[in-house]
Amino acid sequence: MSRRSDLLRYLAARLALAPVMVWLIASLVFLLLRVAPGDPIDALLGSRAPAAARAALRAQLGLDQPLWHQYGHFLNQLLHGELGQSLTNQEPVTAVIRQSLPASLELGVVALVLAAVVGLAVGFSGVARPEGRLDLAGRLYGIGTYALPPFWAAMVVQLVFAVWLGWLPVGGRFPPTLIPPTGSGFYLLESLRAGLGTGHWHQLLGTVRHLVLPAGTLGLLLSGIFANALRLNLRRALDSDYVEAARSRGLGEGRVILRHALPNALLPVLTITGITVASLIGGALLIEVTYSWPGIAFRLQEAIGQRDYPLVQGIVVVVAALVVMVTVAVDLVVAMLDPRIRF
Amino acid sequence: MVQARRLNRPLSLLTSALALGLACGLAGCQRQAGKQSLAASTNQLVVASKNRIDTVDPAGAYTFGAMQLLSAIGDPLYAIDPGGQIQPKLALALPQVSADGLTVRVALRQGVRFHDGTPFNAAAMVFTLQRFLAIGKLSYLLGDRVQSVGAIGPYTLELRLKRPFAAMAPLLSAVNLTPLSPTAYRNHANRFLNDRFVGTGPYRLTFFSDQQQRLEPFAGYWGKPPANGGINLVALSNSTALFGALTSGEVDVLLSTSLEIDQQAALHRSALRHKLREGQGPALEIGYLSLLTDQPPLQSPGLRRAIALSLDRRTISQRVTLGLRAPLRDLVPPSLVGSDPQAWPSYNPKAARALYRQAGYCKGKRLSLPLTFRSNVPSDRLFALTWQAQLRQDLGDCVSLEVTGMEATTAYRQLGDGAFTMILLDWMGDFPDPDNYLVPLLGCDQAQGNRCLKGASAASGSFWSQPGLEQALQRSASLSGPGRAALLRRIQRQTAAATPYLPVWLVAPRAWAQRRVSQPRFDGSGRLLLQDLRTSGAPR
Repeated sequence: MSRRSDLLRYLAARLALAPVMVWLIASLVFLLLRVAPGDPIDALLGSRAPAAARAALRAQLGLDQPLWHQYGHFLNQLLHGELGQSLTNQEPVTAVIRQSLPASLELGVVALVLAAVVGLAVGFSGVARPEGRLDLAGRLYGIGTYALPPFWAAMVVQLVFAVWLGWLPVGGRFPPTLIPPTGSGFYLLESLRAGLGTGHWHQLLGTVRHLVLPAGTLGLLLSGIFANALRLNLRRALDSDYVEAARSRGLGEGRVILRHALPNALLPVLTITGITVASLIGGALLIEVTYSWPGIAFRLQEAIGQRDYPLVQGIVVVVAALVVMVTVAVDLVVAMLDPRIRF
Repeated sequence: MVQARRLNRPLSLLTSALALGLACGLAGCQRQAGKQSLAASTNQLVVASKNRIDTVDPAGAYTFGAMQLLSAIGDPLYAIDPGGQIQPKLALALPQVSADGLTVRVALRQGVRFHDGTPFNAAAMVFTLQRFLAIGKLSYLLGDRVQSVGAIGPYTLELRLKRPFAAMAPLLSAVNLTPLSPTAYRNHANRFLNDRFVGTGPYRLTFFSDQQQRLEPFAGYWGKPPANGGINLVALSNSTALFGALTSGEVDVLLSTSLEIDQQAALHRSALRHKLREGQGPALEIGYLSLLTDQPPLQSPGLRRAIALSLDRRTISQRVTLGLRAPLRDLVPPSLVGSDPQAWPSYNPKAARALYRQAGYCKGKRLSLPLTFRSNVPSDRLFALTWQAQLRQDLGDCVSLEVTGMEATTAYRQLGDGAFTMILLDWMGDFPDPDNYLVPLLGCDQAQGNRCLKGASAASGSFWSQPGLEQALQRSASLSGPGRAALLRRIQRQTAAATPYLPVWLVAPRAWAQRRVSQPRFDGSGRLLLQDLRTSGAPR
């Protein structure tokens, strides 16, 4: 069988398994929420509302139904592409996710780009003189950023740049004195579009200003992973036989590195990027909380506190589906790029 | 290798140049954005709090933040002024109550219009109240007391009550009952309208997201117009960010809700040094301990009394809240009728020791007392640890406190199951009336002697009642004047003697403003009067 048909079969198998994985995750979350202590009625009404009011709200929200009935209803909704309504404000869960997910994706993408640029630059910088000062600094940078507790780093950055120096806002996603752009929920894109259309750039400037600290902190914290991964893989590639062969053919060192060693060293980095993207879709909770970034992880944390069952289930299902999709896509790209991969 | 070094040098230069360019660009962006913000914020104020708002529908709102917002964009029939007096707002006068106490009529103000231009009248008020009764999350506030709602004239509202209730005006001051435009809510009569609001208040809501709201003065407002050009409410998720936002000048006013105590104290000190302006509202939130009275060891009234005498509120208030929360020996806040500031005994370790001895402790035997605190409330944890240390120091041979933290929602779920020997909780009435403090703690639908089997007392985790107590609570709801105050004090004295609860401290809302903003003021319901805030004109 040809490699192409193998690849298609592999893709089909992965795609067929994806709904099963999402169903398993959704069922697990459904059960865990019900097993966990706490009651949404308490979260909504407090513990002192009259019993009749509590019972009425419980019936209104369908929480008086047997567990199997609630589960059946949940699965039925899921199969029809519905995620139900939030218990706290009866808003469709899809609408809540539509509001929060773009914020997390925007933060994640900018942070990832920053992490990749900085991380790869740092990882590449030591290649000229292994064990030299630059290489040592790059290693320390990689270990240091990876080891820093995100909440601590975020708070220190916030304290220095927002509170002490006053250069950047302490939190939020948009200046409170401006009306945020409407549309897709991606403020960066929307405000860029508005700027191109009207020639007024204050929305874009406000968006960038609020994005710098959270994306910068997250990006720098993630960049260490890229730096270390590239450094190790590039070192391994430079010591390999095919690089020696290239050198012996008289190729220049720059060409050897850029054309022969780097592409091979970047393959594992691509896998790491996939894993990082997957984790960022779920949001960088501590970063979002510290910078009051209204993303999906922040929303999920609140929903758990409020025991908002449909919202927690909905967010987890959507995030799980996205993570599965990204993982499949990355696996596929790696499989296409690396002829050594067997499936 | 040499070539690689050559390759690295331009790369490093390029990276440095890019980083420098980006930094310069961003710095420019920041300055530019700052200028734009200033331009947009002329005479507008930024007010920050920790309160993210899920819904602006009065029927669905229940959080402090939502109530604060609604109080600025809506007008209830009555309002409680900063002095604690009830004042007609959209009503013309105080309610007229029939001789049997079962019919209440309210004359409504004429010439008032909703933000969408719809005239305000009795039909609009009936629509609002019936909608709240049908879908309101807190519908029991009205539903437990009101049989029916109707209009007996274009500007006269009539409420038929289930039983006499003297505090109708304070009840109608609840922001959840703020009138809504029947035109705007026609399609939302049976469901929430979460992101829009059309009422009669001094501000219109012109932008809403859960983290940010913009209020602009309503040109057609019937009353005194706001003193500022608008308010931008913003929610920041953590205390440090809020504190930093005020101290860096990024926000004009900061509300104390959910702000860490030490940061509140730092802002308080700044206000004392005239670096900020500070305003304090009426203390309407109480912190108290609930004692499980139907299980050992606290089923003994003597032991409960001993614990009451073992609580050094003054030291705890100083250590835990740096003096920001006043010690409380009363279940009814002092600003309300019927409060009895000395109903519970003060700290007396000598008397406490005598009672512990009577119960068989202190003679080589020590009472091990479990105390549960809400782990997600920082001041609760500090209280538990401080009291534990205080008891170890003063009565260490008689009693020791075993402290355990539990997440709040989990704790609430188990409260009515009698899971906690002693737990620290807080409470704030839905509207300022003493009944809202006593009934939720002492009400009992079914009792057996001193044990409450079903009702508010059981749900609060104390399971305590007393013959005649429920009747006394119901009688107090129908009384007014000195007779009611005397009855409320008597109820509290009886409760204090049995000690099913221990009041601990009193929480007052605070707000801090930059020097160029006027001093923040609160109404009698504990809400910041946003419309009173004004700037001196100096730019931020």
